[in-house]
Amino acid sequence: MVQTDPSSQLPLTAVVLHILLALADGERHGYAIAQEIEGTTDGQVRMGPGTLYGSIQRMLGASLIEEAPQRRRAADDDERRRYYRMTSFGRRVLELELQRLAQVVRVARQKRLVRDPGVA
Amino acid sequence: MKPRRSLVERAYHASLSLYPRPFRDRFGEEMHDFARLRINAARRGGTAAWTRETIALFADLVNGASMQWLTTLRERRREARAQPVIDALPRDNMDIISQDLRFALRALARRPAFAIVAALTLALGIGANTAIFSVVNAVLIRPLPYDHPDRVVIIWGTQGTQGNQGVVYADYVDWRQQNRSFEDIGAIRGQSVNLTGGTTPDRLTGAFVSASLLRVINTKMSRGRVFTEAETELATKAPVAIVSYESWVARFGSDPAILGRNVVINGTTFTVVGIAAPKTPVPLFAPTPDVFMPIGYYPNAHGLERGTRGISAVGRLKPGVTIEAAQRDLRAIERRLADAYPTTNAGTSAEVFSLKEYGVGPTRTRLYVILAAVAVVLLIACANVANLQLARGASRAREMSIRAALGAGRGRIAQQLLTENVVLSLVGGVAGLAFAFGMTKGLVTLIGPQLPIDQTTIAVDGPVLLFALVVSLATGILFGLPPAWKASRTDLTDMLRSRLTGGFGHLATRNTLVVVQLALSLALLASAGLLTRSLIALEHVDPGFDGDNLLTAQFRLPAAKYDSPEKIWSMFERTVTELRAIPGVQSAALVRASPLSGNGESYPVTIDGRAPVAASEAPSVQVNSITTEYFTAMHIPLLAGRDIAGTDRKGALPAVVVNKSLADKTWPNESPIGKRIKLGDDEWRTVIGVVGDARHFRLDEPQLLQAYVPHAQRPQIFTSIVVRTKGNPLDFVKAAREAIWRVDRDQPIWRFRSMQQDLDAVVTAPKTTMWLIGLFSVVALLVAAVGIYGVLSYTMTQRTQEVGIRIALGADARQVTRMVILEGSRLIGVAVLIGLLASLGAARLLRNQLYGVEPHDLVTFGAVTVVLAGVALLACYLPARRASRVDPMVALRSE
Repeated sequence: MVQTDPSSQLPLTAVVLHILLALADGERHGYAIAQEIEGTTDGQVRMGPGTLYGSIQRMLGASLIEEAPQRRRAADDDERRRYYRMTSFGRRVLELELQRLAQVVRVARQKRLVRDPGVA
Repeated sequence: MKPRRSLVERAYHASLSLYPRPFRDRFGEEMHDFARLRINAARRGGTAAWTRETIALFADLVNGASMQWLTTLRERRREARAQPVIDALPRDNMDIISQDLRFALRALARRPAFAIVAALTLALGIGANTAIFSVVNAVLIRPLPYDHPDRVVIIWGTQGTQGNQGVVYADYVDWRQQNRSFEDIGAIRGQSVNLTGGTTPDRLTGAFVSASLLRVINTKMSRGRVFTEAETELATKAPVAIVSYESWVARFGSDPAILGRNVVINGTTFTVVGIAAPKTPVPLFAPTPDVFMPIGYYPNAHGLERGTRGISAVGRLKPGVTIEAAQRDLRAIERRLADAYPTTNAGTSAEVFSLKEYGVGPTRTRLYVILAAVAVVLLIACANVANLQLARGASRAREMSIRAALGAGRGRIAQQLLTENVVLSLVGGVAGLAFAFGMTKGLVTLIGPQLPIDQTTIAVDGPVLLFALVVSLATGILFGLPPAWKASRTDLTDMLRSRLTGGFGHLATRNTLVVVQLALSLALLASAGLLTRSLIALEHVDPGFDGDNLLTAQFRLPAAKYDSPEKIWSMFERTVTELRAIPGVQSAALVRASPLSGNGESYPVTIDGRAPVAASEAPSVQVNSITTEYFTAMHIPLLAGRDIAGTDRKGALPAVVVNKSLADKTWPNESPIGKRIKLGDDEWRTVIGVVGDARHFRLDEPQLLQAYVPHAQRPQIFTSIVVRTKGNPLDFVKAAREAIWRVDRDQPIWRFRSMQQDLDAVVTAPKTTMWLIGLFSVVALLVAAVGIYGVLSYTMTQRTQEVGIRIALGADARQVTRMVILEGSRLIGVAVLIGLLASLGAARLLRNQLYGVEPHDLVTFGAVTVVLAGVALLACYLPARRASRVDPMVALRSE
């Protein structure tokens, strides 16, 4: 069921958005995704395996992400660990979502609801 | 930490089966890996973080699983709508289990009578086991409420070959200084104390302790502080006290101003410096003592001198030090002390016990005996339900064969039957828990006071619930396996061909179950029989005195107020006079330690004119101090010489009365009158009389050597009263108390009891055990009787046709009856043989609980065999009679 129109996926849930952001720098395994998200949000978004893999399943189904092919990994890595990476479709969806959010922020700033000027 | 981690991990892994199969196959491994990393990370953050993370993980798992199911079910419904095909076949394990559960409930609901009988049988068995386990858990399993309880030990002194002696305070001081095994050692001595200054004098339980003791047991305070080291040192002792939380509430009205206030205890003014935390655990005390005072105020005159075993010692081992190592350490110190103080320390040493072991050791066997008995009852109940199931299995053969024909595999059918049984046992378990709550309450009132722990801690709590769950599941599997196994081995074509008469194959299994039931019942009956005989023997022990119409009580004079022997004796003398003046009192006396009160002391005896022997080798004599009229009041016969008289007082010839055993042992062929003996380091005393033997500490003790000295010649501050009354002795409590208050109105008196109460109390514990085992064995017998009745009735139904033919061919009713009974007798005979062997084994386990009866007592074994065989034969007779009345025409037509 490959989606061709990225905008049909919007808006993304917070969890899906964070997972896509976490995979923006490259492939990661599940626990590393959760760690990354926890780190970048200062611990505000913390997900357990149930939530994470539930989302991963849906995202695989929607072709937002895919399993990275098996390759030689560092010696300390567990063999059964699977790595996930963003598909190009996923990247387009993420970009669209971020544009949508930026638009939202812009509106909010015009209404002086947001004071922080730092957000691009 | 390590086993805990793997346990959580395993639980997590198992819980993953909550997810739908496809999801679990795809992501299960990864989720497990994720959870493991999370837990490992949290472990570094301490227990709290670990706990939080564990809870979060499971919450996440359950949440995730339910989301996945919702999705899956939605998809399925969509697919079902898309292609409308009836599809009842289960897809995965969850489906199979839920399908089995639905079938199980339906199957049980179809036969409510069977379900109710089986569930009730199991409920009784599981309930009784759970109730007994709640006691076992509280007493034997739950760790003591101290920090690192495995390191808290109790230290006893030893003297020659005698163990379990008190500890000499001076030795304790040396141990503390010289040992290398203990973090610290504390001293404690319990004694009731008198609290004065209120409206009536009050008696409190007191603990005289060292500051180190409070540290060893890690005493927590609600308010105020613990004692300082200086306050409890003998040289620098200070009159400070800590009250227990409970006595603060009960006696001081929860008044926080009590801190810093003075209270008068034993005539000395103490300042309250602290209130202990609620339910503070204190070794050797249950419940918490009312008040703690520095050990230096322990009132017995010589209690803390070298050579007097006045205190108990409790130590905390350093981490990693074993009890054996600590013991070696203390023994080495004791050897050095024996060299330094040969007169007091020769032949003495020390023994170290785990506090837990010391407290529960004596109760352990009794509780295990009861637990074993109740487990046997459950086993018998299981066998019965299994038998019922097998009978049903036979009549359900048709149902099973149809399901097999429709494609159900053997494993599938077995699993279905097992599920049914586990559901049944869980229903039984839930009902059993209701029983258990009630029974636990009953048990606490019944045996709570006989246990070495605070009985309020006995409850159906987490571990007990877990136990009930495990027992329920185990029983379900245990009685579910035989039918399931049968079902899985039956051949499909056989099942269809044999129609309803099939199931002869079950008979061997069913007979085996009946034999097991009967044999186990016999073992229980034999145990109950032995305990009953033992109890009867115990109740027929002649205590050597007459316990009817005797009132006893105790009091202890404050040493500060009664600081000379003259003052003590004058108080005692006036007390006896006042007691005798009460109308209805026939005779009254004072005795230091009344029989069966738990008090009493023993000393080595030295005989004048005999070669001196070491103190540790000399015979030990139980010594008591008495006033005139003691033997009269107790009805202890005077055998030779004279009774103690009013003239045997200080300054007169030191006198002693000995019992028959001491006289016979020491002077076998001559009159003991006029001979001289020395008790411990007392002065030489001349024997003036010989009295009959009496039991003192227990009824089942070997007869003690006894000596009685006049109170007047050796008055000590503690004494008991014995008053022989006309009529019920308990009617005289008020009069006796007032008589003593006429002598000293500040004197508390306690433990008013009739001697008969003390005599009854001696047999309470064995009586409870006997009643419980007896009750269990009767239940077991009835259940087993129902079992053999069921099997024979069933066999006879199956053989109606055969019986019909026999009768048609001329067999008369008596022959048919005999045939059936013979068949039952064969089973009973085998069961009795096995049962007697099992009984011998059970009796060996009971050995220590028996008194006055051999473990292989033939009378008991014979009697219980007759009872069992009788009841079992009666159970056979009913189906036999029914068989003999079979109408041959009906029987033959029925095919």
